[in-house]
Amino acid sequence: MPSRPRSVTDVARARFLERLAQWMYIAPAATYLLLFFGYPLVKNLVMSFQQYTITTFYTGAAPFVGMENYSKILSSDLFPKALLTTFLFTAGSVIGQFALGLAFALFFQRRFPLGGLLRSLLLLPWLLPLVVSGTTWRWLLDPDTGVANAALRGLHLTSSGVPWLTGTSQALVSVILVNIWVGIPFNTAILYGGLQDIPAHLYEAAKLDGAGSLASFRHVTWPLLRPAVSVVLVLGAVYTVKVLDIILVVTGGGPAGATETLATQSYELSFRQFEFGRGAAMSNVLIVLSLAFAVVHLRASRRAQNV
Amino acid sequence: MKRAPGRGWPSTVVGIALLALMLFPVYWMVNASLQPAGNTLQRTWFPSHPDLSGYVTALRDQGRNLVTSLVVALGSVVLSLGLAAPAAYALTQFRLRGADLVLFGILITQMAPGIAVANALYGAYNDLGLLNSYLGLILADSTAGVPFAIIIMRASMRSIPGEIIEAARVDGAGRLRVFRSVVLPVSANALITAAVFTFLFTWSDFLFALTLTTTESVRPVTLGIYQYIGAHTNQWNAITATAVMASVPAAVMLVVAQRYVTDGATDGAAK
Amino acid sequence: MISPAGSSAWRTAARLTAAIALVVAATGCGGATGAGSATSKVTSITALDYYTDEPEHSQWGETLSACGRTVGVKVEQASVPGASLIPKVLQQASSRTLPDLLMLDNPDLQQIAQTGALTPLDRYGIDSRGFAQGILSAGTYEGKVYGLAPYVSTVALFYNKDMLAEAGVAVPGTWDELKAAAAELTRPGRYGMAVDANPTFESAWQFLPFLWSNGGEERQLDTPRAAQALQLWVDLVKRGSMSKSVLNWTQADVHDQFVAGRTAMMINGPWRIPALNKDKNLHWGVAPIPVPQTGQTPVTPLGGEVWTVPQSPSTARREKAAQVLACLNEPSSMLALAKQHFTVPSRSTVASRYAEQVPSMAAFVKSVQAARSRTRELGVKWPKAATGIYTAIQSALTGEQTPEEALRHAQQTAIGD
Repeated sequence: MPSRPRSVTDVARARFLERLAQWMYIAPAATYLLLFFGYPLVKNLVMSFQQYTITTFYTGAAPFVGMENYSKILSSDLFPKALLTTFLFTAGSVIGQFALGLAFALFFQRRFPLGGLLRSLLLLPWLLPLVVSGTTWRWLLDPDTGVANAALRGLHLTSSGVPWLTGTSQALVSVILVNIWVGIPFNTAILYGGLQDIPAHLYEAAKLDGAGSLASFRHVTWPLLRPAVSVVLVLGAVYTVKVLDIILVVTGGGPAGATETLATQSYELSFRQFEFGRGAAMSNVLIVLSLAFAVVHLRASRRAQNV
Repeated sequence: MKRAPGRGWPSTVVGIALLALMLFPVYWMVNASLQPAGNTLQRTWFPSHPDLSGYVTALRDQGRNLVTSLVVALGSVVLSLGLAAPAAYALTQFRLRGADLVLFGILITQMAPGIAVANALYGAYNDLGLLNSYLGLILADSTAGVPFAIIIMRASMRSIPGEIIEAARVDGAGRLRVFRSVVLPVSANALITAAVFTFLFTWSDFLFALTLTTTESVRPVTLGIYQYIGAHTNQWNAITATAVMASVPAAVMLVVAQRYVTDGATDGAAK
Repeated sequence: MISPAGSSAWRTAARLTAAIALVVAATGCGGATGAGSATSKVTSITALDYYTDEPEHSQWGETLSACGRTVGVKVEQASVPGASLIPKVLQQASSRTLPDLLMLDNPDLQQIAQTGALTPLDRYGIDSRGFAQGILSAGTYEGKVYGLAPYVSTVALFYNKDMLAEAGVAVPGTWDELKAAAAELTRPGRYGMAVDANPTFESAWQFLPFLWSNGGEERQLDTPRAAQALQLWVDLVKRGSMSKSVLNWTQADVHDQFVAGRTAMMINGPWRIPALNKDKNLHWGVAPIPVPQTGQTPVTPLGGEVWTVPQSPSTARREKAAQVLACLNEPSSMLALAKQHFTVPSRSTVASRYAEQVPSMAAFVKSVQAARSRTRELGVKWPKAATGIYTAIQSALTGEQTPEEALRHAQQTAIGD
């Protein structure tokens, strides 16, 4: 046997084995991601073109119906309403979380005794299970027995109380408020981190130039905080658009469907009405929305890296 | 950033006031859990006569669900770290073609609405008999933990100096040994952060509990609370007591693993 | 007890029908009855109900065991929560692991029977004569009886005697009296009246007595008579006599409000009586649901669970199950069950004897005689109408739509795809 070709094969084989061994580290996680994200996303896409109902669980038969699921959900009275609600819920939550989160971050930027402790305690609302937060708020906001109305009545701001959970527009405001409350800590943490990364000497320089605190915020803080800002806004939107827990717990989508979003509609279709095909179509609409945000996110973070 | 130390305390007072406002719902939950059952009108602002009957009822009705949540959360931590640690190692230390694709995949996972995943998993689980099972919940709940753990650990492992690994390799350590006795210990912080968050994600999960279980046999406490409200409006003390118990892990993490929690919040977003 | 709620699964369950019928046909069920000798070999059968709460769970368990003993078989009882029952049954049907005896909420029976998953009871020689007409029609599909209920129930007006006495208000009998009484009884922190108006089948069930007693029909929801009934609820909320939170309340919540003294009157069913009796300080009474005009008889929906014998490969097991079912519907069993659950025996003769023995139940005995089953008019299409009704209730009570508009939409939902 000639020795040279053999050693070449050996090298190739060794390299192959090496690669294989390296891939073995990734393979389990990659397989998991494919099974639990890849499969569901593809499956959802397929299901959205099928008449996929409980019948399918018996017979395995899910006839293809083309665009019927999409045309059914898109032409339903509920869809424009749910889309608008999703938009209002997302925009209201993201803006509210950001504004208050930024205020907290700026506040905590001052050094003061117990500042670190208070800042970490602020994280609590974010770490609590959403069901717990939702339950607590639902109880606080109960129009008859909740402490929110008790306080308003006590202050003589209202005699009858605000129908937090039973008025159609008030209920939407309520779920947005709860979601803002949940999101403030996350926004504060990221923005605080962003603020810490701004070199102190820039502030000193601005001060020397005679800039007041407002001017130094506008010319130093804000421009340098931009990357962190785009991260929290985009992530906030991506996470908020698919929120389900809070709405289900606080209002259940009601009253009279006033707090139904695309996510709750998708849940409703699949798991209350067992119309899995339509539920899948609805969640695909949701995915498209999320992807739109994702594109914005990727572009924003690329821009941030270039800065 | 150093600021003048003198004007500290007024800010502390303001800070405490703001925190009190932010955490009022949490206080109110604890307060309510210590009230006797019954008429919701007679609530007081302070539990001057703490009554533990809410906790007794809650433990009786929901004790099993708390254990279920614990089992599922721990299972998910083990699974997520077990999958994510080697993957993060490979993604940072090996030059693999296709690694970018994996990273892109991970990014995509952050966009996928849970309801879309649940929608498709329901059918698959029905066929595989995974509905109402611990394994089924652990697998589904890890959809939050696995990508997050990879992101956190990758960020940390990327900063391991190549020389350390080279040195170990030169000493004749195999890849697995390097991973086990060099990379993992150096990344301990990231591992803990990932574990803390995976635990909290799974403990808090509601969507998969709601969609992938249909009976009482395997029921996480989040779902327990959800079904508690409505059925027992007269027992808000028991409902809030359950809520308090369901909040314990978050509070414990905040006290015990505060640094990791803060790290996780920032690293996870800054990937 | 979720008797009226059923499950929203129902909306779609109708669609499975053809498919399941095929499956069942393929298994070749039906036909020859087994020999007597085969029957004797069966030592135990399974039963599935939705009474997970105590004491009802044990009460049913004991009754099932007792009936099992009389026919020489052990009955293994399993219970799932009401909302999970239908999904569970559907899963079991697909894997052919249905129980030998199955409890169903009566408005669900026709749809399940339509799938072919149940066996007609005449096959086992079960006598269904003497049952009240309403419940028999709920258990009947295409002329054959598939399910029998040992007892029935309906809703009525519960009131707090102390509060009525203190306000000097008589028990209302008509809608006008109801509105006046509810307003009189309202105090800070307390409402005069409470109903279940949440977006589920439960609120449709609570609304039916008002709809029907006013001459409204579930077949045609966009009528002035239906709108008047809905207007009554809207008025109660608008005048502050009923909390707007009724939009979120289940029947259990309504009960809790009543027990907590936060409402002076409520609509609820007799299955609440054991819980009401637990509170010694609560002095309550029960009356028929108020009617539009004096002298009218309220028409209420019929509640109660029917027992059925699902398809299974073993004729012997089905025979045994049928014997247990027959035993459950014996006069003595139904009398005992009715006493336990504060419901009404479904055989008319037993019911009148019962009214003599338990005078507090006389109001219910009287009202179930006129009670209608929810599926009598629409059959398997009832869930669609029910969806339309509860959506209309929500829209009208929030003020989003007038009762007329809301019911026009309801009618579209009821007849839509």
